[in-house]
Amino acid sequence: MSDYLHIQNIHKDFSGLKVLTGVEFKVKEKERHAVIGPNGAGKTTLFNIISGKFKPSSGAILFKGQDISGKPPHVLNRLGLSRSFQITNVFQELSVFNNILAGVRSHYGLRYHFFKKPDRDRNICERVEAIIDEVGLMDVKDQPANSLSYGKQRALEIGITLSTEPELILLDEPTAGMTREETNQAIKMINQVTAGRTLIIIEHDMEVVFSLANTISVLHYGTILVSDTPEKIRNDQRVKDAYMGEG
Amino acid sequence: MKQKNTSFIIIALFLAGAFMPLILKQYHLNMLTEIIIFALFAVSYNLLLGYAGLLSFGHAMFFGLGAFMTAVAIIHIPGLALWNAILIGVVTTIIAGFVIGSLLLRHKGAYFALLTLAFNALFYAVATKWHSVTGGDDGLSITRPDLSLGFTSISMASLTHFYYLTLIIVGAAIVFCWYFTHTAMGKTVLLMRENEERMKFLGYNTNISRLLLFTFTGAVAGLAGSFYTLHFQFVSISAISVDMTTAVLLMAFVGGTKTFWGPILGAFVYIILQNYLSNITDRWPLFMGFIFVSMVLFIPGGLSEVIMNIRQRLFGKKDNNGGKSAASEEV
Ligand SMILES: Nc1ncnc2c1ncn2[C@@H]1O[C@H](COP(=O)(O)OP(=O)(O)OP(=O)(O)O)[C@@H](O)[C@H]1O
Ligand SMILES: [Mg+2]
Repeated sequence: MSDYLHIQNIHKDFSGLKVLTGVEFKVKEKERHAVIGPNGAGKTTLFNIISGKFKPSSGAILFKGQDISGKPPHVLNRLGLSRSFQITNVFQELSVFNNILAGVRSHYGLRYHFFKKPDRDRNICERVEAIIDEVGLMDVKDQPANSLSYGKQRALEIGITLSTEPELILLDEPTAGMTREETNQAIKMINQVTAGRTLIIIEHDMEVVFSLANTISVLHYGTILVSDTPEKIRNDQRVKDAYMGEG
Repeated sequence: MKQKNTSFIIIALFLAGAFMPLILKQYHLNMLTEIIIFALFAVSYNLLLGYAGLLSFGHAMFFGLGAFMTAVAIIHIPGLALWNAILIGVVTTIIAGFVIGSLLLRHKGAYFALLTLAFNALFYAVATKWHSVTGGDDGLSITRPDLSLGFTSISMASLTHFYYLTLIIVGAAIVFCWYFTHTAMGKTVLLMRENEERMKFLGYNTNISRLLLFTFTGAVAGLAGSFYTLHFQFVSISAISVDMTTAVLLMAFVGGTKTFWGPILGAFVYIILQNYLSNITDRWPLFMGFIFVSMVLFIPGGLSEVIMNIRQRLFGKKDNNGGKSAASEEV
Protein backbone atom coordinates (compact mmCIF):
# COMPACT_ATOMS: atom_id res chain seq x y z
CA MET A 1 0.00 0.00 0.00
CA SER A 2 1.33 3.42 -0.89
CA ASP A 3 1.52 6.19 1.68
CA TYR A 4 -1.22 8.74 2.12
CA LEU A 5 1.08 11.72 1.70
CA HIS A 6 4.71 11.42 0.82
CA ILE A 7 6.86 14.54 0.61
CA GLN A 8 9.77 13.46 -1.54
CA ASN A 9 13.05 15.29 -1.56
CA ILE A 10 11.55 18.77 -1.97
CA HIS A 11 13.93 21.56 -2.85
CA LYS A 12 13.01 25.21 -3.12
CA ASP A 13 15.15 28.21 -3.83
CA PHE A 14 14.06 31.78 -4.29
CA SER A 15 16.48 33.22 -6.84
CA GLY A 16 19.50 31.72 -5.19
CA LEU A 17 18.24 31.62 -1.62
CA LYS A 18 18.01 27.91 -0.79
CA VAL A 19 15.10 27.62 1.60
CA LEU A 20 14.30 23.92 1.34
CA THR A 21 17.08 21.48 0.60
CA GLY A 22 15.60 18.03 0.36
CA VAL A 23 12.56 17.82 2.63
CA GLU A 24 11.42 14.25 3.06
CA PHE A 25 8.68 12.83 5.28
CA LYS A 26 5.51 10.80 5.22
CA VAL A 27 2.07 11.38 6.66
CA LYS A 28 -0.34 8.54 7.32
CA GLU A 29 -4.06 8.82 6.77
CA LYS A 30 -5.88 10.36 9.79
CA GLU A 31 -2.53 11.25 11.32
CA ARG A 32 -2.12 14.48 13.32
CA HIS A 33 1.23 15.64 12.16
CA ALA A 34 3.03 18.68 13.54
CA VAL A 35 5.81 20.47 11.70
CA ILE A 36 8.05 22.45 14.02
CA GLY A 37 11.20 24.44 13.49
CA PRO A 38 12.73 27.84 14.20
CA ASN A 39 11.64 31.07 12.55
CA GLY A 40 12.56 31.18 8.90
CA ALA A 41 13.15 27.43 8.74
CA GLY A 42 10.91 27.18 5.70
CA LYS A 43 7.76 25.75 7.24
CA THR A 44 5.37 28.11 5.51
CA THR A 45 7.30 27.67 2.28
CA LEU A 46 6.73 23.93 2.60
CA PHE A 47 2.98 24.52 3.03
CA ASN A 48 3.02 26.85 0.07
CA ILE A 49 4.48 24.07 -2.02
CA ILE A 50 2.17 21.32 -0.77
CA SER A 51 -0.90 23.53 -1.31
CA GLY A 52 0.13 24.63 -4.79
CA LYS A 53 1.01 28.26 -4.19
CA PHE A 54 4.60 27.62 -5.29
CA LYS A 55 6.08 24.97 -7.51
CA PRO A 56 8.98 23.12 -5.93
CA SER A 57 12.38 23.63 -7.57
CA SER A 58 12.63 19.84 -7.55
CA GLY A 59 11.13 16.86 -5.79
CA ALA A 60 7.68 15.34 -5.73
CA ILE A 61 4.62 15.21 -3.53
CA LEU A 62 2.66 11.99 -3.65
CA PHE A 63 -0.91 12.29 -2.42
CA LYS A 64 -2.59 8.88 -2.36
CA GLY A 65 -0.05 7.70 -4.89
CA GLN A 66 -0.51 10.59 -7.33
CA ASP A 67 2.17 13.22 -7.87
CA ILE A 68 0.46 16.51 -7.09
CA SER A 69 3.52 18.77 -7.09
CA GLY A 70 3.09 21.87 -9.21
CA LYS A 71 -0.68 21.54 -9.53
CA PRO A 72 -2.54 24.83 -9.02
CA PRO A 73 -4.28 25.46 -5.67
CA HIS A 74 -7.83 25.15 -6.97
CA VAL A 75 -7.12 21.69 -8.36
CA LEU A 76 -5.53 20.56 -5.10
CA ASN A 77 -8.47 21.93 -3.15
CA ARG A 78 -10.84 19.87 -5.23
CA LEU A 79 -8.69 16.81 -4.52
CA GLY A 80 -9.49 17.30 -0.84
CA LEU A 81 -6.61 19.42 0.40
CA SER A 82 -7.20 22.68 2.22
CA ARG A 83 -4.94 25.06 4.08
CA SER A 84 -5.09 27.98 6.45
CA PHE A 85 -2.73 30.94 6.46
CA GLN A 86 -0.29 32.14 9.05
CA ILE A 87 -1.34 35.72 8.34
CA THR A 88 -5.12 35.87 8.44
CA ASN A 89 -6.35 35.68 4.87
CA VAL A 90 -10.12 36.08 4.90
CA PHE A 91 -12.66 38.17 2.99
CA GLN A 92 -12.35 41.22 5.21
CA GLU A 93 -15.43 43.12 4.11
CA LEU A 94 -17.79 40.18 4.08
CA SER A 95 -19.79 38.73 6.92
CA VAL A 96 -18.68 35.55 8.65
CA PHE A 97 -21.55 33.79 6.90
CA ASN A 98 -20.46 34.89 3.45
CA ASN A 99 -16.85 34.02 4.21
CA ILE A 100 -17.79 30.44 4.94
CA LEU A 101 -20.36 30.36 2.14
CA ALA A 102 -17.61 30.97 -0.42
CA GLY A 103 -16.01 27.63 0.36
CA VAL A 104 -19.15 25.62 1.02
CA ARG A 105 -20.75 26.50 -2.30
CA SER A 106 -17.50 25.76 -4.07
CA HIS A 107 -17.62 22.27 -2.58
CA TYR A 108 -21.22 21.94 -3.80
CA GLY A 109 -20.11 22.93 -7.30
CA LEU A 110 -21.78 26.35 -7.23
CA ARG A 111 -18.82 28.37 -8.41
CA TYR A 112 -19.66 29.93 -11.74
CA HIS A 113 -23.39 29.45 -12.04
CA PHE A 114 -25.09 32.31 -13.91
CA PHE A 115 -28.59 31.67 -12.59
CA LYS A 116 -28.50 29.99 -9.19
CA LYS A 117 -28.22 32.05 -6.04
CA PRO A 118 -26.02 30.20 -3.55
CA ASP A 119 -27.72 31.68 -0.48
CA ARG A 120 -31.04 30.24 -1.65
CA ASP A 121 -29.85 26.65 -1.37
CA ARG A 122 -30.96 25.16 1.92
CA ASN A 123 -28.32 22.41 2.06
CA ILE A 124 -25.57 24.91 1.50
CA CYS A 125 -26.88 27.36 4.09
CA GLU A 126 -27.29 24.62 6.67
CA ARG A 127 -23.75 23.46 6.11
CA VAL A 128 -22.46 27.04 6.43
CA GLU A 129 -24.23 27.44 9.76
CA ALA A 130 -22.94 24.11 11.00
CA ILE A 131 -19.36 25.14 10.29
CA ILE A 132 -19.86 28.55 11.90
CA ASP A 133 -21.17 26.72 14.94
CA GLU A 134 -18.23 24.31 14.99
CA VAL A 135 -15.68 27.11 15.05
CA GLY A 136 -17.70 29.00 17.65
CA LEU A 137 -18.68 32.09 15.67
CA MET A 138 -22.47 31.80 15.81
CA ASP A 139 -22.79 35.03 17.80
CA VAL A 140 -20.98 37.05 15.11
CA LYS A 141 -22.41 35.25 12.09
CA ASP A 142 -23.56 38.42 10.35
CA GLN A 143 -20.69 40.67 11.30
CA PRO A 144 -18.02 41.61 8.79
CA ALA A 145 -14.74 39.81 9.27
CA ASN A 146 -12.80 43.03 9.80
CA SER A 147 -14.89 43.85 12.87
CA LEU A 148 -13.97 40.62 14.69
CA SER A 149 -11.45 40.29 17.48
CA TYR A 150 -8.11 38.74 16.57
CA GLY A 151 -9.02 35.42 18.15
CA LYS A 152 -12.27 35.24 16.23
CA GLN A 153 -10.55 36.12 12.98
CA ARG A 154 -8.24 33.17 13.55
CA ALA A 155 -11.28 30.96 14.16
CA LEU A 156 -12.77 32.25 10.92
CA GLU A 157 -9.54 31.43 9.15
CA ILE A 158 -9.97 27.83 10.27
CA GLY A 159 -13.65 27.85 9.41
CA ILE A 160 -12.87 28.89 5.84
CA THR A 161 -10.26 26.16 5.64
CA LEU A 162 -12.89 23.62 6.67
CA SER A 163 -15.54 24.96 4.35
CA THR A 164 -14.57 22.85 1.34
CA GLU A 165 -14.78 19.62 3.37
CA PRO A 166 -11.10 18.70 3.05
CA GLU A 167 -9.74 15.29 3.99
CA LEU A 168 -6.24 16.72 4.38
CA ILE A 169 -5.96 19.94 6.38
CA LEU A 170 -2.87 22.12 6.65
CA LEU A 171 -2.93 24.68 9.47
CA ASP A 172 -0.18 27.29 9.58
CA GLU A 173 0.32 28.49 13.17
CA PRO A 174 -3.39 28.69 14.00
CA THR A 175 -2.81 29.89 17.57
CA ALA A 176 0.02 32.36 16.99
CA GLY A 177 -0.56 35.62 18.82
CA MET A 178 -3.39 34.25 20.96
CA THR A 179 -3.65 34.54 24.72
CA ARG A 180 -3.22 31.36 26.78
CA GLU A 181 -6.93 31.02 27.22
CA GLU A 182 -7.71 31.64 23.56
CA THR A 183 -5.06 29.07 22.68
CA ASN A 184 -6.59 26.42 24.91
CA GLN A 185 -9.98 27.04 23.38
CA ALA A 186 -8.52 26.95 19.90
CA ILE A 187 -6.80 23.60 20.53
CA LYS A 188 -10.05 22.09 21.71
CA MET A 189 -11.84 23.42 18.67
CA ILE A 190 -9.15 22.26 16.24
CA ASN A 191 -9.23 18.81 17.78
CA GLN A 192 -12.95 18.61 17.26
CA VAL A 193 -13.19 19.97 13.74
CA THR A 194 -10.29 17.96 12.39
CA ALA A 195 -11.42 14.67 13.90
CA GLY A 196 -11.49 11.91 11.31
CA ARG A 197 -9.32 13.88 8.90
CA THR A 198 -5.61 14.12 8.30
CA LEU A 199 -4.01 17.14 9.90
CA ILE A 200 -0.66 18.78 9.34
CA ILE A 201 -0.07 21.70 11.65
CA ILE A 202 2.78 24.18 11.89
CA GLU A 203 3.17 25.33 15.45
CA HIS A 204 5.66 27.08 17.67
CA ASP A 205 3.81 26.55 20.90
CA MET A 206 5.12 23.22 22.22
CA GLU A 207 2.13 22.81 24.49
CA VAL A 208 -0.12 22.90 21.45
CA VAL A 209 2.14 20.51 19.58
CA PHE A 210 2.19 17.92 22.32
CA SER A 211 -1.52 18.11 22.96
CA LEU A 212 -2.51 17.82 19.31
CA ALA A 213 0.05 15.81 17.40
CA ASN A 214 0.82 12.12 17.27
CA THR A 215 3.76 12.61 14.93
CA ILE A 216 6.20 15.49 14.79
CA SER A 217 8.61 16.50 12.07
CA VAL A 218 11.38 18.93 12.88
CA LEU A 219 12.36 21.21 10.02
CA HIS A 220 15.82 22.67 10.41
CA TYR A 221 17.92 24.48 7.83
CA GLY A 222 15.77 23.32 4.97
CA THR A 223 15.64 19.62 5.79
CA ILE A 224 13.70 17.39 8.12
CA LEU A 225 15.96 16.69 11.07
CA VAL A 226 13.75 13.94 12.42
CA SER A 227 10.16 12.76 12.07
CA ASP A 228 8.81 10.68 14.94
CA THR A 229 6.37 10.34 17.86
CA PRO A 230 6.18 13.17 20.42
CA GLU A 231 7.92 11.04 23.09
CA LYS A 232 10.86 10.28 20.84
CA ILE A 233 11.09 13.91 19.71
CA ARG A 234 11.07 15.11 23.31
CA ASN A 235 14.08 12.97 24.08
CA ASP A 236 15.96 13.36 20.82
CA GLN A 237 19.36 14.89 21.47
CA ARG A 238 19.60 16.46 17.99
CA VAL A 239 16.28 18.19 18.46
CA LYS A 240 17.28 19.41 21.90
CA ASP A 241 20.47 20.82 20.51
CA ALA A 242 19.04 22.31 17.41
CA TYR A 243 15.72 23.65 18.39
CA MET A 244 14.15 23.12 21.73
CA GLY A 245 17.09 24.28 23.76
CA GLU A 246 16.12 23.45 27.30
CA GLY A 247 13.67 20.83 25.98
CA MET B 1 -36.25 41.82 2.05
CA LYS B 2 -34.01 44.28 0.28
CA GLN B 3 -34.36 42.28 -2.92
CA LYS B 4 -38.16 42.41 -2.66
CA ASN B 5 -37.90 46.18 -2.52
CA THR B 6 -35.76 46.20 -5.60
CA SER B 7 -38.18 43.93 -7.46
CA PHE B 8 -40.91 46.40 -6.65
CA ILE B 9 -38.84 49.29 -7.99
CA ILE B 10 -38.08 47.36 -11.17
CA ILE B 11 -41.76 46.69 -11.85
CA ALA B 12 -42.59 50.34 -11.15
CA LEU B 13 -39.89 51.47 -13.59
CA PHE B 14 -41.20 49.18 -16.33
CA LEU B 15 -44.72 50.45 -15.79
CA ALA B 16 -43.56 54.04 -15.87
CA GLY B 17 -41.60 53.23 -19.02
CA ALA B 18 -44.71 51.76 -20.60
CA PHE B 19 -46.55 55.06 -20.16
CA MET B 20 -43.78 57.24 -21.53
CA PRO B 21 -44.94 57.19 -25.16
CA LEU B 22 -48.19 58.77 -23.96
CA ILE B 23 -46.35 61.56 -22.20
CA LEU B 24 -43.20 62.27 -24.18
CA LYS B 25 -42.78 63.90 -27.54
CA GLN B 26 -41.04 61.89 -30.27
CA TYR B 27 -37.80 63.75 -29.75
CA HIS B 28 -37.70 62.85 -26.09
CA LEU B 29 -38.88 59.31 -26.64
CA ASN B 30 -35.99 58.96 -29.02
CA MET B 31 -33.66 60.19 -26.36
CA LEU B 32 -35.13 57.83 -23.79
CA THR B 33 -34.58 54.90 -26.15
CA GLU B 34 -30.97 55.93 -26.48
CA ILE B 35 -30.65 56.25 -22.71
CA ILE B 36 -31.94 52.73 -22.13
CA ILE B 37 -29.47 51.33 -24.67
CA PHE B 38 -26.54 53.18 -23.15
CA ALA B 39 -27.68 52.26 -19.66
CA LEU B 40 -27.20 48.61 -20.61
CA PHE B 41 -23.80 49.37 -22.09
CA ALA B 42 -22.76 51.22 -18.92
CA VAL B 43 -24.10 48.48 -16.66
CA SER B 44 -22.10 45.86 -18.53
CA TYR B 45 -19.03 48.03 -18.25
CA ASN B 46 -19.51 48.48 -14.55
CA LEU B 47 -19.68 44.73 -13.98
CA LEU B 48 -16.04 44.82 -15.04
CA LEU B 49 -15.03 48.07 -13.39
CA GLY B 50 -17.13 48.35 -10.25
CA TYR B 51 -17.65 44.68 -9.47
CA ALA B 52 -14.54 42.93 -10.71
CA GLY B 53 -12.20 45.90 -10.36
CA LEU B 54 -11.03 45.50 -13.95
CA LEU B 55 -10.39 48.75 -15.79
CA SER B 56 -10.99 48.14 -19.48
CA PHE B 57 -10.24 50.67 -22.18
CA GLY B 58 -11.66 48.42 -24.83
CA HIS B 59 -15.30 47.90 -24.05
CA ALA B 60 -16.32 49.70 -27.24
CA MET B 61 -14.88 46.88 -29.33
CA PHE B 62 -17.73 44.66 -28.19
CA PHE B 63 -20.31 47.41 -28.46
CA GLY B 64 -19.05 48.27 -31.94
CA LEU B 65 -18.77 44.66 -33.00
CA GLY B 66 -22.38 44.00 -32.02
CA ALA B 67 -23.41 47.20 -33.77
CA PHE B 68 -21.55 46.39 -37.00
CA MET B 69 -22.48 42.72 -37.14
CA THR B 70 -26.17 43.59 -36.85
CA ALA B 71 -25.84 46.17 -39.61
CA VAL B 72 -23.79 43.91 -41.87
CA ALA B 73 -26.17 41.01 -41.34
CA ILE B 74 -29.22 43.11 -42.18
CA ILE B 75 -27.55 44.46 -45.31
CA HIS B 76 -26.25 41.16 -46.62
CA ILE B 77 -28.96 38.72 -45.65
CA PRO B 78 -32.20 39.69 -47.36
CA GLY B 79 -35.32 39.21 -45.28
CA LEU B 80 -33.33 38.62 -42.10
CA ALA B 81 -35.59 38.51 -39.07
CA LEU B 82 -35.01 41.18 -36.42
CA TRP B 83 -34.30 38.56 -33.75
CA ASN B 84 -31.64 36.98 -35.90
CA ALA B 85 -30.00 40.30 -36.65
CA ILE B 86 -29.68 40.87 -32.91
CA LEU B 87 -28.61 37.28 -32.30
CA ILE B 88 -25.84 37.52 -34.88
CA GLY B 89 -24.53 40.65 -33.16
CA VAL B 90 -24.55 39.00 -29.75
CA VAL B 91 -23.13 35.63 -30.79
CA THR B 92 -20.23 37.30 -32.59
CA THR B 93 -19.36 39.29 -29.48
CA ILE B 94 -19.53 36.15 -27.36
CA ILE B 95 -16.96 34.53 -29.63
CA ALA B 96 -14.81 37.67 -29.74
CA GLY B 97 -15.07 38.09 -25.97
CA PHE B 98 -14.03 34.51 -25.40
CA VAL B 99 -11.05 34.68 -27.74
CA ILE B 100 -9.79 38.06 -26.54
CA GLY B 101 -10.55 37.14 -22.94
CA SER B 102 -8.43 34.00 -23.24
CA LEU B 103 -5.49 36.16 -24.26
CA LEU B 104 -6.07 38.68 -21.46
CA LEU B 105 -7.11 36.62 -18.50
CA ARG B 106 -3.71 36.39 -16.89
CA HIS B 107 -3.36 40.14 -16.79
CA LYS B 108 -4.75 42.61 -14.32
CA GLY B 109 -4.33 46.27 -13.55
CA ALA B 110 -2.36 48.41 -15.96
CA TYR B 111 -1.48 45.54 -18.32
CA PHE B 112 -5.09 44.57 -18.63
CA ALA B 113 -6.09 48.18 -19.33
CA LEU B 114 -3.37 48.61 -21.97
CA LEU B 115 -4.11 45.33 -23.68
CA THR B 116 -7.81 46.11 -23.93
CA LEU B 117 -6.88 49.50 -25.38
CA ALA B 118 -4.65 47.78 -27.94
CA PHE B 119 -7.37 45.35 -28.95
CA ASN B 120 -9.85 48.19 -29.29
CA ALA B 121 -7.41 50.03 -31.53
CA LEU B 122 -7.05 46.89 -33.63
CA PHE B 123 -10.81 46.57 -34.05
CA TYR B 124 -11.04 50.22 -34.91
CA ALA B 125 -8.32 49.91 -37.52
CA VAL B 126 -10.05 46.94 -39.11
CA ALA B 127 -13.37 48.78 -39.16
CA THR B 128 -11.76 51.80 -40.79
CA LYS B 129 -9.82 49.91 -43.43
CA TRP B 130 -12.27 47.18 -44.34
CA HIS B 131 -14.34 49.59 -46.33
CA SER B 132 -16.23 47.02 -48.39
CA VAL B 133 -17.82 45.51 -45.30
CA THR B 134 -18.01 48.30 -42.76
CA GLY B 135 -18.41 51.25 -45.06
CA GLY B 136 -15.29 52.77 -43.49
CA ASP B 137 -15.71 56.45 -42.70
CA ASP B 138 -19.09 56.54 -44.42
CA GLY B 139 -20.66 54.02 -42.10
CA LEU B 140 -23.61 51.78 -42.87
CA SER B 141 -27.27 52.67 -43.17
CA ILE B 142 -29.94 50.08 -42.56
CA THR B 143 -33.67 49.86 -42.27
CA ARG B 144 -35.02 48.17 -39.17
CA PRO B 145 -36.61 44.86 -40.08
CA ASP B 146 -40.12 44.32 -38.81
CA LEU B 147 -40.59 42.23 -35.74
CA SER B 148 -42.16 38.91 -36.57
CA LEU B 149 -43.91 37.12 -33.74
CA GLY B 150 -45.03 34.11 -35.76
CA PHE B 151 -48.72 34.88 -35.84
CA THR B 152 -48.28 38.55 -36.57
CA SER B 153 -45.67 41.08 -37.50
CA ILE B 154 -45.08 44.45 -35.88
CA SER B 155 -43.73 47.33 -37.91
CA MET B 156 -40.54 48.70 -36.50
CA ALA B 157 -40.70 51.80 -38.64
CA SER B 158 -42.67 53.28 -35.77
CA LEU B 159 -40.48 54.84 -33.17
CA THR B 160 -42.93 54.03 -30.43
CA HIS B 161 -42.87 50.34 -31.38
CA PHE B 162 -39.11 50.29 -31.33
CA TYR B 163 -39.13 52.07 -28.00
CA TYR B 164 -41.29 49.31 -26.54
CA LEU B 165 -39.04 46.65 -27.97
CA THR B 166 -36.03 48.37 -26.41
CA LEU B 167 -37.79 48.80 -23.11
CA ILE B 168 -38.63 45.12 -22.95
CA ILE B 169 -35.49 43.49 -24.33
CA VAL B 170 -32.80 45.90 -23.20
CA GLY B 171 -34.67 46.52 -19.95
CA ALA B 172 -34.80 42.77 -19.32
CA ALA B 173 -31.07 42.53 -20.02
CA ILE B 174 -30.40 45.23 -17.41
CA VAL B 175 -32.58 43.36 -14.93
CA PHE B 176 -30.71 40.18 -15.69
CA CYS B 177 -27.40 41.94 -15.01
CA TRP B 178 -28.79 43.00 -11.67
CA TYR B 179 -29.90 39.44 -10.97
CA PHE B 180 -26.48 38.24 -12.09
CA THR B 181 -24.81 40.18 -9.28
CA HIS B 182 -26.64 37.92 -6.81
CA THR B 183 -25.88 34.63 -8.53
CA ALA B 184 -23.01 32.29 -7.77
CA MET B 185 -20.98 33.73 -10.63
CA GLY B 186 -21.78 37.31 -9.68
CA LYS B 187 -20.71 36.69 -6.09
CA THR B 188 -17.58 34.92 -7.27
CA VAL B 189 -16.58 38.06 -9.14
CA LEU B 190 -16.97 40.13 -5.97
CA LEU B 191 -15.13 37.63 -3.81
CA MET B 192 -12.26 37.57 -6.27
CA ARG B 193 -11.86 41.29 -6.07
CA GLU B 194 -11.91 41.03 -2.31
CA ASN B 195 -9.34 38.24 -2.07
CA GLU B 196 -8.41 36.41 -5.23
CA GLU B 197 -5.71 34.32 -3.58
CA ARG B 198 -8.06 32.83 -1.03
CA MET B 199 -10.53 31.99 -3.77
CA LYS B 200 -7.90 29.85 -5.47
CA PHE B 201 -7.42 27.91 -2.27
CA LEU B 202 -11.16 27.33 -2.10
CA GLY B 203 -11.32 25.55 -5.43
CA TYR B 204 -12.07 28.46 -7.73
CA ASN B 205 -10.28 28.76 -11.03
CA THR B 206 -9.98 32.52 -11.04
CA ASN B 207 -8.76 32.71 -14.62
CA ILE B 208 -11.87 30.93 -15.82
CA SER B 209 -13.99 33.24 -13.70
CA ARG B 210 -12.42 36.28 -15.30
CA LEU B 211 -12.85 34.79 -18.76
CA LEU B 212 -16.53 34.06 -18.14
CA LEU B 213 -17.13 37.54 -16.81
CA PHE B 214 -15.25 39.18 -19.67
CA THR B 215 -17.20 37.16 -22.24
CA PHE B 216 -20.49 37.87 -20.51
CA THR B 217 -19.96 41.62 -20.23
CA GLY B 218 -18.75 41.67 -23.82
CA ALA B 219 -21.91 39.93 -24.97
CA VAL B 220 -24.08 42.37 -23.04
CA ALA B 221 -22.20 45.27 -24.60
CA GLY B 222 -22.72 43.59 -27.97
CA LEU B 223 -26.46 43.47 -27.34
CA ALA B 224 -26.41 47.17 -26.51
CA GLY B 225 -24.44 47.81 -29.70
CA SER B 226 -26.90 45.84 -31.73
CA PHE B 227 -29.76 47.99 -30.43
CA TYR B 228 -27.69 51.08 -31.04
CA THR B 229 -27.58 50.22 -34.74
CA LEU B 230 -31.27 49.43 -34.81
CA HIS B 231 -32.07 52.66 -33.01
CA PHE B 232 -30.14 55.00 -35.28
CA GLN B 233 -30.58 52.76 -38.33
CA PHE B 234 -27.01 53.68 -38.93
CA VAL B 235 -23.61 52.72 -37.62
CA SER B 236 -20.28 54.41 -38.12
CA ILE B 237 -16.77 53.67 -36.94
CA SER B 238 -17.37 55.96 -33.97
CA ALA B 239 -19.34 53.06 -32.44
CA ILE B 240 -16.15 51.02 -32.19
CA SER B 241 -13.76 53.86 -31.42
CA VAL B 242 -11.94 54.58 -28.20
CA ASP B 243 -14.24 57.62 -27.90
CA MET B 244 -17.07 55.19 -27.31
CA THR B 245 -15.06 53.51 -24.56
CA THR B 246 -14.46 56.92 -23.05
CA ALA B 247 -18.17 57.62 -23.20
CA VAL B 248 -19.08 54.49 -21.28
CA LEU B 249 -16.28 55.10 -18.80
CA LEU B 250 -17.71 58.58 -18.24
CA MET B 251 -21.22 57.27 -17.74
CA ALA B 252 -20.03 54.77 -15.16
CA PHE B 253 -17.92 57.34 -13.35
CA VAL B 254 -20.47 60.14 -13.38
CA GLY B 255 -23.15 57.80 -12.08
CA GLY B 256 -20.85 56.04 -9.66
CA THR B 257 -19.24 52.63 -9.94
CA LYS B 258 -20.03 51.55 -6.41
CA THR B 259 -23.67 50.78 -6.96
CA PHE B 260 -25.48 48.77 -9.60
CA TRP B 261 -27.76 51.64 -10.61
CA GLY B 262 -25.07 54.34 -10.66
CA PRO B 263 -24.10 53.74 -14.30
CA ILE B 264 -27.78 53.78 -15.33
CA LEU B 265 -28.07 57.21 -13.80
CA GLY B 266 -24.78 58.10 -15.47
CA ALA B 267 -26.10 57.09 -18.89
CA PHE B 268 -29.20 59.17 -18.27
CA VAL B 269 -27.24 62.27 -17.35
CA TYR B 270 -24.66 61.75 -20.08
CA ILE B 271 -27.12 61.34 -22.94
CA ILE B 272 -29.24 64.28 -21.82
CA LEU B 273 -26.23 66.54 -21.35
CA GLN B 274 -24.78 65.47 -24.66
CA ASN B 275 -28.05 66.20 -26.45
CA TYR B 276 -28.54 69.61 -24.91
CA LEU B 277 -24.93 70.69 -24.98
CA SER B 278 -24.50 69.65 -28.59
CA ASN B 279 -27.55 71.74 -29.45
CA ILE B 280 -25.98 74.76 -27.81
CA THR B 281 -22.35 74.46 -28.76
CA ASP B 282 -20.00 72.54 -31.00
CA ARG B 283 -17.53 72.43 -28.18
CA TRP B 284 -19.69 70.08 -26.12
CA PRO B 285 -16.91 67.47 -25.72
CA LEU B 286 -14.90 70.15 -23.95
CA PHE B 287 -17.68 70.74 -21.47
CA MET B 288 -18.20 67.03 -20.99
CA GLY B 289 -14.51 66.66 -20.30
CA PHE B 290 -14.67 69.50 -17.82
CA ILE B 291 -17.59 67.87 -16.01
CA PHE B 292 -15.77 64.55 -15.95
CA VAL B 293 -12.61 66.02 -14.49
CA SER B 294 -14.50 67.86 -11.76
CA MET B 295 -16.49 64.73 -10.93
CA VAL B 296 -13.37 62.63 -10.54
CA LEU B 297 -11.68 65.30 -8.47
CA PHE B 298 -14.53 66.28 -6.20
CA ILE B 299 -17.02 63.41 -6.13
CA PRO B 300 -15.12 60.25 -7.05
CA GLY B 301 -18.06 58.18 -5.85
CA GLY B 302 -20.24 59.71 -8.56
CA LEU B 303 -23.85 60.86 -8.42
CA SER B 304 -25.00 57.70 -6.69
CA GLU B 305 -22.75 58.55 -3.77
CA VAL B 306 -24.19 62.04 -3.59
CA ILE B 307 -27.70 60.64 -3.56
CA MET B 308 -26.86 58.07 -0.91
CA ASN B 309 -25.34 60.78 1.26
CA ILE B 310 -28.41 62.98 0.89
CA ARG B 311 -30.68 60.07 1.69
CA GLN B 312 -28.60 59.33 4.72
CA ARG B 313 -28.84 62.91 5.91
CA LEU B 314 -32.58 63.10 5.32
CA PHE B 315 -33.63 59.76 6.71
CA GLY B 316 -30.66 59.01 8.90
CA LYS B 317 -30.50 55.69 7.12
CA LYS B 318 -27.25 54.03 7.79
CA ASP B 319 -25.60 53.00 4.59
CA ASN B 320 -24.46 49.51 5.38
CA ASN B 321 -21.81 49.61 2.69
CA GLY B 322 -20.19 52.51 4.44
CA GLY B 323 -20.19 53.90 0.91
CA LYS B 324 -17.48 51.38 0.43
CA SER B 325 -18.12 49.38 -2.66
CA ALA B 326 -20.28 47.02 -4.58
CA ALA B 327 -18.28 44.28 -2.96
CA SER B 328 -20.26 44.60 0.21
CA GLU B 329 -22.87 41.99 0.67
CA GLU B 330 -25.98 43.69 -0.63
CA VAL B 331 -25.88 45.98 -3.55
N1 LIG C 1 8.20 34.29 -1.82
C1 LIG C 1 9.43 34.34 -1.27
N2 LIG C 1 10.45 34.93 -1.92
C2 LIG C 1 11.67 35.00 -1.39
N3 LIG C 1 11.99 34.48 -0.20
C3 LIG C 1 11.05 33.86 0.50
C4 LIG C 1 9.71 33.76 0.01
N4 LIG C 1 8.97 33.10 0.91
C5 LIG C 1 9.79 32.81 1.92
N5 LIG C 1 11.04 33.25 1.69
C6 LIG C 1 12.18 33.09 2.58
O1 LIG C 1 12.27 31.74 2.92
C7 LIG C 1 12.68 31.60 4.26
C8 LIG C 1 11.70 30.71 4.99
O2 LIG C 1 10.47 31.41 5.14
P1 LIG C 1 9.18 30.72 5.71
O3 LIG C 1 8.11 31.74 5.74
O4 LIG C 1 8.89 29.47 4.98
O5 LIG C 1 9.64 30.38 7.20
P2 LIG C 1 8.81 29.80 8.41
O6 LIG C 1 9.48 28.56 8.84
O7 LIG C 1 7.38 29.69 8.07
O8 LIG C 1 9.03 30.94 9.48
P3 LIG C 1 8.05 31.49 10.64
O9 LIG C 1 8.16 30.56 11.77
O10 LIG C 1 8.61 32.83 10.96
O11 LIG C 1 6.69 31.56 10.05
C9 LIG C 1 12.80 32.99 4.84
O12 LIG C 1 14.16 33.36 4.80
C10 LIG C 1 12.00 33.83 3.89
O13 LIG C 1 12.52 35.13 3.81
MG1 LIG D 1 5.67 30.58 8.65
